[in-house]
Amino acid sequence: MKLRFVLNGESVEIEVRPDRRVVDLLREDCGLTGTKECCGSGECGGCTILVDGDCRLSCLMLAAQLHGREVVTIEGLSRDGRLHAVQEAFMEHGAVQCGFCTPGMVLAAVSLLARQPHPSREQIREGLSGNICRCTGYVKIVDAVEAAARKLANGERR
Amino acid sequence: MTLRHGPLEIGCPVPRVDAAAKVTGEEKYAIDHTPENMLWAGVRRAGVPHGRLRTVHVEEARVLPGVLCVLTASDVPGTNRQGIVHKDQPVLAVDRVRHCGDPVALVLAEDRETLAKALALVAPDIEPLPSVHSPEEALRPDAPAIHDSGNVLLRAVIEKGDAGGAFGECDAVVEETFEVPFQEHAFLETQNGIAHREADGKLVMTVSTQAPFRDRFEIAHALGLDPFSIRIISPYLGGGFGGKDGATVQCLLALAAMHAGGRPVRMTWEREESFIAGYKRHAVKMHYRVGAKRDGTLHALECDLYYDTGAYAHLGAEVMELGMEHAGGPYRIPNVRVKGWCVYTNNPIAGAMRGFGVCQTAFAVESVMDMLAAKLNLDPLEFRRKNALRRGDENCAGVTMVHSTGIGACLETLGRHPLWLERRAWKRAAPPFKRRGVGLAAVFNAMGYGRGLPDSAIARLELTSDGRIRIYCGVSDMGQGNSAAFVQIAGEILCQDASRLELILPDTDRTHPSGSSSAGRTTYTFGNALVQACNTLKEKLFHRTALVLMLDEEKGLALLPGRVRHLPSGREASFELLARMLPEADRASVGQFIMPVAHDVPDTGKEFAIGFPHVFFAYAAHLARVEVDELTGRIEVTGYLAVTDGGKVINPQGFEQQVHGSVAQGLGYALTEQLLLDRGTILNAGFADYILPTALDVPEIISVAAETFEHTGPFGMKGIGEVGTNGPLPAVANAVNDALGRRLTRSPLTASRVLRAMEEGPAQPVT
Amino acid sequence: MTNVLIPESMEELRQILETHPGARVYAGGTDLLVKMRSGVEAVPPCLVCLERIAELGAVSERGEVVRIGACVTHTRLLADPVATEQLPVLVRAVRVLGSRLIRNMGTIGGNVCTASPAGDTLPPLYVLDAELELRGGTGSRIVALKDFIRGPGQTVLGENEILAAVRIRKPRMFNLFHYEKVGQRKGLCCSAVSLAAMLRVSSGGVVEDAALAWGSVGPTVVRSREIERMLIGKELTAEGMREAAAEVGKIVSPISDVRADAAYRRAVAGNLLLRLAARDGSSP
Repeated sequence: MKLRFVLNGESVEIEVRPDRRVVDLLREDCGLTGTKECCGSGECGGCTILVDGDCRLSCLMLAAQLHGREVVTIEGLSRDGRLHAVQEAFMEHGAVQCGFCTPGMVLAAVSLLARQPHPSREQIREGLSGNICRCTGYVKIVDAVEAAARKLANGERR
Repeated sequence: MTLRHGPLEIGCPVPRVDAAAKVTGEEKYAIDHTPENMLWAGVRRAGVPHGRLRTVHVEEARVLPGVLCVLTASDVPGTNRQGIVHKDQPVLAVDRVRHCGDPVALVLAEDRETLAKALALVAPDIEPLPSVHSPEEALRPDAPAIHDSGNVLLRAVIEKGDAGGAFGECDAVVEETFEVPFQEHAFLETQNGIAHREADGKLVMTVSTQAPFRDRFEIAHALGLDPFSIRIISPYLGGGFGGKDGATVQCLLALAAMHAGGRPVRMTWEREESFIAGYKRHAVKMHYRVGAKRDGTLHALECDLYYDTGAYAHLGAEVMELGMEHAGGPYRIPNVRVKGWCVYTNNPIAGAMRGFGVCQTAFAVESVMDMLAAKLNLDPLEFRRKNALRRGDENCAGVTMVHSTGIGACLETLGRHPLWLERRAWKRAAPPFKRRGVGLAAVFNAMGYGRGLPDSAIARLELTSDGRIRIYCGVSDMGQGNSAAFVQIAGEILCQDASRLELILPDTDRTHPSGSSSAGRTTYTFGNALVQACNTLKEKLFHRTALVLMLDEEKGLALLPGRVRHLPSGREASFELLARMLPEADRASVGQFIMPVAHDVPDTGKEFAIGFPHVFFAYAAHLARVEVDELTGRIEVTGYLAVTDGGKVINPQGFEQQVHGSVAQGLGYALTEQLLLDRGTILNAGFADYILPTALDVPEIISVAAETFEHTGPFGMKGIGEVGTNGPLPAVANAVNDALGRRLTRSPLTASRVLRAMEEGPAQPVT
Repeated sequence: MTNVLIPESMEELRQILETHPGARVYAGGTDLLVKMRSGVEAVPPCLVCLERIAELGAVSERGEVVRIGACVTHTRLLADPVATEQLPVLVRAVRVLGSRLIRNMGTIGGNVCTASPAGDTLPPLYVLDAELELRGGTGSRIVALKDFIRGPGQTVLGENEILAAVRIRKPRMFNLFHYEKVGQRKGLCCSAVSLAAMLRVSSGGVVEDAALAWGSVGPTVVRSREIERMLIGKELTAEGMREAAAEVGKIVSPISDVRADAAYRRAVAGNLLLRLAARDGSSP
């Protein structure tokens, strides 16, 4: 099928099998390897992307479902070389270790803060409970999201 | 983001240099490499825990369009045996399969779909044999022999004093049996790699690996190749934790590349295959007996340890060795006898995992310590402090603690923390249907390989042609942040900020052999080599500056960001100038280091080929606060404190990262993680039913450093990568006992076990 | 290759189902796609994604009935004022269903049609006596939820029939709404035992009416008029609940599986009644 959708702010048109998993489409057909596959069954959040602003599991979406949608992957989060507040906070607060969960975790956090701009630590944990991290023990991830929330609330860069 | 300006400094929480590329998705892990014209390789696995492999029907698969070849054991040159120390694992099964994951055939195909179809068409003809699934079963006289050498990989003893006789001299003795299951590493990037063979026969592989230099030898031995004709590139790993130490995909991938006509080949284990074929933490059964004097002095300890190493050795003997060395805890005990059996079964292969044999014995020894304290009516913290090792003491393995030994400081620091001091009031305030408890654990974990092989690293440092400092790193970074530490070390010594420093990740063609990323050794060993290289480079730059500035002596010189200054005159030579002046061969320095070893030669532990004994240890004291739900048996860990001795802290943020992460893995091990096996078949081979802790399941972890000074370590540090995993299970079990008056001796501490413990009568240890 | 069609109206859907025998419908895919990958479900010749049919994605109320379109995602339900106001027992359950990611994709219709014994929406929908609007080629019919699910994974959906909406009468007779899910961890888990309860409690703290439903302790959700009657007239305290709690073991038929053993499920199913006593009634 001829798939037309917006990917990281740009219109794309791509010939693809309708049943191709979105994670494969992104990683292999679009060359955007930031989105990861870690379990293939929706249990770990490593494949998280934003579709029309909602965080979704790209390993459980099929290409046809993207038609006409706006997709943001981790590569599309920074604008003009400037990082998103959540990305900066992750770096500053030690929320990145092996980094494999990081793209999915960052996008989940971005969409969480868009819906809930002032989450408590418990609410942050709840909002990220679908994203497994095996390295950090989550504490610094919560620190980072809390800090990013404060920055965004102060009107600092998106 | 504004880069930290200013030269990097040891002791500061410098953000990691690898974080930027990871946070934008730019960093390419092994799994992200998809070269043009790539083929896919995969293996068909036995599916049966033990059997005679009569033949493998491959014709149907072979003729499928898009299949290049289907290989079996007869196509494997060399020994067809892989292994790190003990090479007993076939690359492709010959005439026996010993666990469900044993590979029987390798398929090479044009794409993933064809590969999957072809693998489904491969039909192994296996005559099932009786199988054994516990050390107990495997040690029975009539048990089927899994290997020609029998079912015992190693039997060993560590003893000192006279444990048998000493129990009679004790005023209190406790005895108990403990059991722990297989644990899964569950790194998010599964085992994978790509490989191709060049025209001259050189094999080039990019693989998610903790041991790129050793991999060459493992592949070469297995496939009859020259190890120096193999190039291994090791990008950042998406997690390792020991599960990528030793060949996972490497030998299979190399074999595939040899049949690919020069085309690149990819092998990726998806999650289910990662469960079935990947290595595990050993399941262990432990019988403990420990005795003390009335005043709380530990006097005797005896234990029998049965390690289930699964179908093949991997690092089984070494894992058991370390567990046995730590079996007496971080305490002074004059009479000790530790007996261990490392036993083959037809279960999945057990091997290296963070906490390497120690996680298991820590559960047992820290539980009996609490039992003994209770019997003697002593405070559990005071009891531990009284017996804690100090520098100069002899540990349970008979080794003199000549290096930093901070367990006393850890316990003391814990004892001053509100989580300990306010425990009684906290417990009394339990909400309806909840019972609260507080539990402790004193743990330790050796650093380094120990004796029998060099724990060595070689660091190369270069002033690049454009005036930057490049570190050639020989050890893999699996997320522990050692690369960031190396940049920080170089920045500190050479007075440079992060923008002038770069790091090349391990590549056997470009960086120097520096051992595996394991055993908590990399920052210490490679760091020491790097310190040497930095000092050599510094001397060289001073000398060359003297030439440039026409100085009659190399005095009064200082390294500043991007330049060398002659302080008396204020004149400078920039790095760019120096780089232009020096030929390439003169712009590098190389440092080397071998970790010191124990000089005691205790008259015991003779069965161990390598490892025994170790002499450097990280220490920690942990406290867990738990709330047990009376209606469901569920345990919630509502608070956690880890006080850790890692020598001097070179980056507080990095230190905390390791503590948090290891405690979280330890909590998973304590509460929910176990491989559920039914006669060798994994029932929960996926994240739906293998329960990892989520952000809602890990509490706020408080990390405090109890700093000692490790004289032999770079800037006084020693590695703490593993010690944190050993604390949570015993701390939580002790806390549950504190809450319920019931002791759980089998892990994980599931709600079901807790509920049963609550339903059964008063204080009696229960399984 | 499997064709994937995404109709935007019920009429388009009807035509697709008529002309594509063997087609499987899905909305979020969080159950079906997982089962197709693991091999539990065969890969069909055609998949039909329902997520763009507007008619299936709305929550509405008419008088005493709340109508939830089958393709309303769990996230949308949680944000819906009618649902949060009128159906607190369902909202409590959906809040702990899966993870935020799963809730953004999964739907109430999917949870009902998957008919897992552990489905989180099911115990609340059972106590609410929910009815299902089924639409097929030949028209539509209403089936009570309790008659819709026949066993694990089994519903009475006919060929070319889909679940269009869930209809619920507002539970006016109750003032305390409760859901507890017991799993192996707090985040993203499959329930090992669950209890949905609606009570009417007098100002004096005495139970006047009760509707109870247990999940994951039988092939389908378990209800018991007897146990409900035992609560009536009792004080909402642990003591008051104890007699009924002791009887629960008799009405459930749990199995042992990778998540929990039967004895545990049986014991906890009864214990969960005691938790009602910890609900002080200040929030419904």
